[in-house]
Amino acid sequence: MIYLFHIFILIGIYIILSLSLNLIAGYTGILSIAHAAFYGIGAYIAALMALNFNSPFLLNLVLAMIGSAILGALIGIPSLRIKDDYFIIATFAFQIITFSILNNLVSFTGGPMGLPGIPQPVIFGIKISSHLSFLILIVILCIIVYFVCNRIVKSPFGRILKAIREDEVFTQSVGKNVSAYKVKIFMISSGLAAIAGVMYATYITYIDPTSFTVMESIFIISIVIIGGAGNLKGSIVGAIVLVMLPEILRFVGLPNSVAANIRQMLYGSLLVVFMMWRPYGFIGEYSFNRNTDNG
Amino acid sequence: MPLIQIFLNVLIHSSNYVLIGISIALLYQTTRFLNFSIAAIYTSGSYFVFLFLRIFNFSLFLSIIFSIFFCVLIGFLIELFLFKKIRKKKSSYLISVLTSFGVYIILQNLISLIFGDSTKSIRSGAIKEGINIFGARITPVQIIIIITSIIITIFLLLFLKKTKIGKAMKAVANDAELANISGISSDKVISISFAIGSGLAGLAGILVALDVDMTPTMGMNALMMGVVAMIIGGVNSILGIVCGALLLSLAQNLGVWYFSSQWQDAIAFVVLLIFLIFRPQGFFGKKFGKANI
Repeated sequence: MIYLFHIFILIGIYIILSLSLNLIAGYTGILSIAHAAFYGIGAYIAALMALNFNSPFLLNLVLAMIGSAILGALIGIPSLRIKDDYFIIATFAFQIITFSILNNLVSFTGGPMGLPGIPQPVIFGIKISSHLSFLILIVILCIIVYFVCNRIVKSPFGRILKAIREDEVFTQSVGKNVSAYKVKIFMISSGLAAIAGVMYATYITYIDPTSFTVMESIFIISIVIIGGAGNLKGSIVGAIVLVMLPEILRFVGLPNSVAANIRQMLYGSLLVVFMMWRPYGFIGEYSFNRNTDNG
Repeated sequence: MPLIQIFLNVLIHSSNYVLIGISIALLYQTTRFLNFSIAAIYTSGSYFVFLFLRIFNFSLFLSIIFSIFFCVLIGFLIELFLFKKIRKKKSSYLISVLTSFGVYIILQNLISLIFGDSTKSIRSGAIKEGINIFGARITPVQIIIIITSIIITIFLLLFLKKTKIGKAMKAVANDAELANISGISSDKVISISFAIGSGLAGLAGILVALDVDMTPTMGMNALMMGVVAMIIGGVNSILGIVCGALLLSLAQNLGVWYFSSQWQDAIAFVVLLIFLIFRPQGFFGKKFGKANI
């Protein structure tokens, strides 16, 4: 039962991550491979606050979201100046720099040894320590994040994001400040990703930089794409499928070292297969096909 | 550290960045997307040599030739079965980029599945001290690396300028449709650039492995350094890439000298971000507008 709870909690964390990435990738049509960096930044801010200042969980959560959103604006601003494929490189650069800082500032982040002993959350006097209570908390957070995202994409703001996705120049020509919209959605998305980071840090109670690498970013992108870009329900489907699928391998009885590689290869093949034959994913609305930039 | 040693280190590092940078730039120009699968081909280059040399007991020279051949073959097959089909569907570059990501993940994990994650070596004999040049040290292998890179770069420069295929590549890079109309088969040209690019990437991987051994994940880092060199220098010229590679490795080596070696990656990407924000067309590149519709 605890095993099942553990899987469900992981699915919850990835649902938050993929919902937030979907806002950028699926709705605005900008591919970012820095999402794991924001996930990590959230986790580290919350962990460092809790370990150094013993501050309450909810305060840490808010601070992590704010910190991550500010850094999200930082990466959003270059996107105004550079073309899309260069932007992928820029986000990649941001991801590597973040990893490098987490890994090398040993006195501050613990470096490769990570940060052990992160206290579990206490909300309004209730200590969240059992798997079940964590699951309840993560489900509540998922629902909140889903409603926030849903509210955003259904609002006039969300419609303009879709317009940017379909035709950026046109959107600009009808008087919308495309740059401001991009930076705003980046801030929102990074802030939401930080929630997942905080939950991961307090659930596992230990973090190290290897949880927030480029491969993690690519995994989150795969969830969004395979579930369906531009559809929030797609992200939920994607997270469930991609987290559950490798668990089946566990029951086949493969040794652990082999299983890790096979799992990655499975993700890679799914990515290729979906991109080749079904770029909409399971239930997506956006296939990453744009006609505006055939440069 | 004496200045001459820094100079030599810059040469060694940049000669590798140049090879992988040109490989990426060739593909980027003709296909218009950043191909991440090159990173896996780079890694496969060195692992093929390991396979032939250590397991089949071929000679080193023969292993390298076979290895480059297989790299070219992989590149060609990937193009034939994946990217050509994607191009036929007129999908956007994002689909191609994500597919190449998928290919990278598959190949990289295949390599670590077969060979394991530990460091493998194709160096032979005991580690020698290296040749002393004015107080700086350089090993014979490193000299070979530098010379090979220079020769290949000059060769490619001439190839692109003088031969018919090279000119056709430029034409496709400029405007694929127009090239098609004037009787150049863009598919064929792209296949050739895939083959050359893969061979180059494989060779770059082998050269590095001869100097500092190999791990299954070495390709991604190399690819990123190549991309940084390419962007700093400007995508359109080989000489630009050479300058970009020199500047990048100079920044890295000075950084290592002032701080410590673990910041090498971060320095490279900070340089890249600065360029992307302030001069995205690179040193020698032409300024491109955002709205080239």
